[in-house]
Amino acid sequence: MKISSVARNLRRILHYGDRPWNALTMLMASGVLLLALAIGWLLLRDSSQARAAFGWQFILPTRDASWNPVFDKFQAWPFIYGTLLTSLAALVLAIPVSLGIAIFLAEISPAWLRVPLGWMVELLAAIPSVVYGLWGIFVFLPGVVTPIGKFLENTFGKIPGLALLFQGPIPASGASRLAAALILAIMIIPTIAAVSRDVFLAIPRAQREASLALGATQWETIWQVLIPYGLSGILGAVILGLGRALGETMAVTMVIGNSIEGSPSLLRPGYTMASIIANEFAEAVSKLHTQSLIGIGLALFVMTLLLNSAARFLVWQVARRTPQEARA
Amino acid sequence: MDVDMKLADNIAMRNSSVHIPPLIVREASPIPESDLMQNKIELVDFSFYYGKFRAIGNINLAMPVHKITAIIGPSGCGKSTLLRAINRMNDLTPGVRTEGQILLDGEDLYQPGTDVVDIRRRVGMVFQRPNPFPKSIYDNVAYGPRLYGVRRKSELDMIVEGSLQQAALWDEVKDKLRQSGMALSGGQQQRLCIARALAVQPEVILMDEPASALDPVATLKIEELMQVLKDSYTIIIVTHNMQQAARVSDFTAFMMIDSPQTRTGVLVEYGPTPQIFTNPKHPQTENYVTGRFG
Amino acid sequence: MITLATYPVIVLRSGTGYRRRKTTNVLMLVITGLLTLAALIPLFWIISYVLYKGGQYINLAFFTQMPRPLGMEGGGVLHAIEGTLVLTLLAALIAIPPGVIAAFYVAYNPNKPLGVAVRFGTDVLSGVPSIVIGLFGYALIVKAQGHYSALAGGVALAILMLPTIIRTTEEMIKLVPHTLREGSLALGAPEWKTALSVTLPAAANGIITGFLLGLARASGETAPLLFTALGNESYEIGRIINSGIAGKQGIFAILDRVLDQPVDSLPLTLWKYAQQPFPERISQSWAVALVLMLIVLLLNIVARLWVQIQTNRLQGK
Repeated sequence: MKISSVARNLRRILHYGDRPWNALTMLMASGVLLLALAIGWLLLRDSSQARAAFGWQFILPTRDASWNPVFDKFQAWPFIYGTLLTSLAALVLAIPVSLGIAIFLAEISPAWLRVPLGWMVELLAAIPSVVYGLWGIFVFLPGVVTPIGKFLENTFGKIPGLALLFQGPIPASGASRLAAALILAIMIIPTIAAVSRDVFLAIPRAQREASLALGATQWETIWQVLIPYGLSGILGAVILGLGRALGETMAVTMVIGNSIEGSPSLLRPGYTMASIIANEFAEAVSKLHTQSLIGIGLALFVMTLLLNSAARFLVWQVARRTPQEARA
Repeated sequence: MDVDMKLADNIAMRNSSVHIPPLIVREASPIPESDLMQNKIELVDFSFYYGKFRAIGNINLAMPVHKITAIIGPSGCGKSTLLRAINRMNDLTPGVRTEGQILLDGEDLYQPGTDVVDIRRRVGMVFQRPNPFPKSIYDNVAYGPRLYGVRRKSELDMIVEGSLQQAALWDEVKDKLRQSGMALSGGQQQRLCIARALAVQPEVILMDEPASALDPVATLKIEELMQVLKDSYTIIIVTHNMQQAARVSDFTAFMMIDSPQTRTGVLVEYGPTPQIFTNPKHPQTENYVTGRFG
Repeated sequence: MITLATYPVIVLRSGTGYRRRKTTNVLMLVITGLLTLAALIPLFWIISYVLYKGGQYINLAFFTQMPRPLGMEGGGVLHAIEGTLVLTLLAALIAIPPGVIAAFYVAYNPNKPLGVAVRFGTDVLSGVPSIVIGLFGYALIVKAQGHYSALAGGVALAILMLPTIIRTTEEMIKLVPHTLREGSLALGAPEWKTALSVTLPAAANGIITGFLLGLARASGETAPLLFTALGNESYEIGRIINSGIAGKQGIFAILDRVLDQPVDSLPLTLWKYAQQPFPERISQSWAVALVLMLIVLLLNIVARLWVQIQTNRLQGK
């Protein structure tokens, strides 16, 4: 009798720990959520003056954009343009390569090669951004970007219409939006390729068997059955890559030339949202200057937030689309 | 072994009780002499290896043209492996090896240099679980012909309608050809897969337990379909459902593993279906078809 | 029933069509292989170049000395190494306990609204650009303290690591068979003890892997530190410890000095040196890049090997 009541009391004491523990886990979880919200909130709060001063005009495309710390006049369109152009150009280059890698790893590569190759592709993503930047400045710019830039300039720079994107001499150093786009492409390939590869691996084997049993070749199966089947997932992978490209700071800053000149061309130096923050924030003096930079940070935050949500949703879609079970 | 119910046609079968399916045997239909001589598919001393493991050993088997041949046996005896070897679907698995021959109209399918893509067009396959593509019903059926260069809409329309008619699905889907193939019921999906296989004009149709994922009504439709199709094609069906094999097939092959240690599938007995089920020659066959094991 | 005979047979047997399909097939498959190789070219190019240029400059002094003034030769990056250590250690200490605990909640309550919201919040956090996290660190801590500090940098890096830790831990917890947890609870152990003594050890391997990868990422990040830790070329822990304040004001004085001032890290140093027009500094940049790459690659390799070893062990190899 006595022993069991002692045991019961002991148990009660020990299990009293259940409630604080559960409360603790809930607290920490809420903390994470609060953190995400806090980031948005702080960005909003510390850019409020700038937003009040400039309104939506701050981020809209305009011809007389100016970024003038002396006169406290700020307009962010050149940076938004630079970010969008370099990121989209990087996507255009990265998508075919990433798809090719994903297809190779998922469908074609012999089994023993799959893991090491996949790991090496992921290693590309592990290289720190600054190292990409350093290599970019001293090796990539003179060795790759400048020749390609000259070629593009001569080939497309004279064609009306395209000239907008390809005109203007590429700087002798090679620092240009083109350089940023190329380096970004290299940096986002691992992201897009890895997620796409997982998408392909998730496609049920039965789809491949059905196609091959009809006499299709492997490539026809990949192109006409697997890619359509996994399209939403691949789209999600692409969007994830885009999100990464938008936020990439160091490598881009080191090779893009950091100039607000007006030319829209790929071959000229430019500026991105992340770069201007990186370059100017520590030395910004006036409150409006700081707030404008934070405003740009807010814009970046919202963009990546929207993109990431869309991406997760799409990738989730492929997993959900399993063959319908046989119904009566 | 005297269970011996002779039935005139399928209507009676539909009325029979489903709980304890009696062993139903069809009247062996008279086989024209010329047909008897023609074997569409012949396996000659055929063995199949997954690496070191011998999955099926030394099979000698012939499937006559325009007949339905059923392969039955307990699970794990290699029936599916055998079936998939005929259209070389096993090639997808790395490390597989074969010995012996599989002849299609006399040509060895495993000869080096044979065009696997062509084999798969001539030997079509329907799988255990329906696997339509995430495309419209029309595009599902038209997938095969398009691969082979049929581009004109009029021709594709004809092929799609003809295939769906043969699969007994046309009337149910003719007004919704643009709908997704995956939106159909299970039984309809399977008939869609059959139509899809028929669209490339195969000579042989392999069916790997085609009705095992379907309800009894859908199963019945598939079995009726097989009876009609056999006039134009040669059908080989793997099934774990003995009653189904007895109902639909003309010839039956019974496989088993030879021993628990080696687990190699071998052919125990082969013959006309009525004989296998009413008068099997081997005691193992008799044990299996009477349900003593398996 | 319509049979084949009632509509014209369109012959599908083809001659040259086959060859074209086969050629296309082989061609495309080869192209995907080439693309994969092409993507790996930058990897090997960067690694070999960094090895080459960095290796030329590296010597022991590089690791043990403080930087010399601009224009002078020699010197090292001790300040950056210590800075990196302090920052990543701080980030780990800040991120791991809340991250692991939060992961328990999410793993066991996947369908409650808070669980769903936190998963979404984790996704949001993982997508935030690192420079925006730096801005947040600035707004939260630097502004409040009035100066840049290692603390602010550590917090920023912790936020960076948090999503990885939560996600990995959550997945690992889910992999632990629920029978293990139920068995422990049935024996009368309270939830917290079950979590710590049963679930956590079982999930430890995956958690460690996730942690190593998060560490690799954090040690290579620059942007979040630009306006939190800022950089400090005279950061030297040895000097702090030897200065004797410990005797006068206790160990907390040391901690205060270590954490409460701006601090450099290897990536930050690389960023600064690469922009300075002194050949000495440029050479040093390559050396820093080499050290950084080695750290990051090592962490990645260890993480993968760890997974491999544990998997082999579980499979009884």
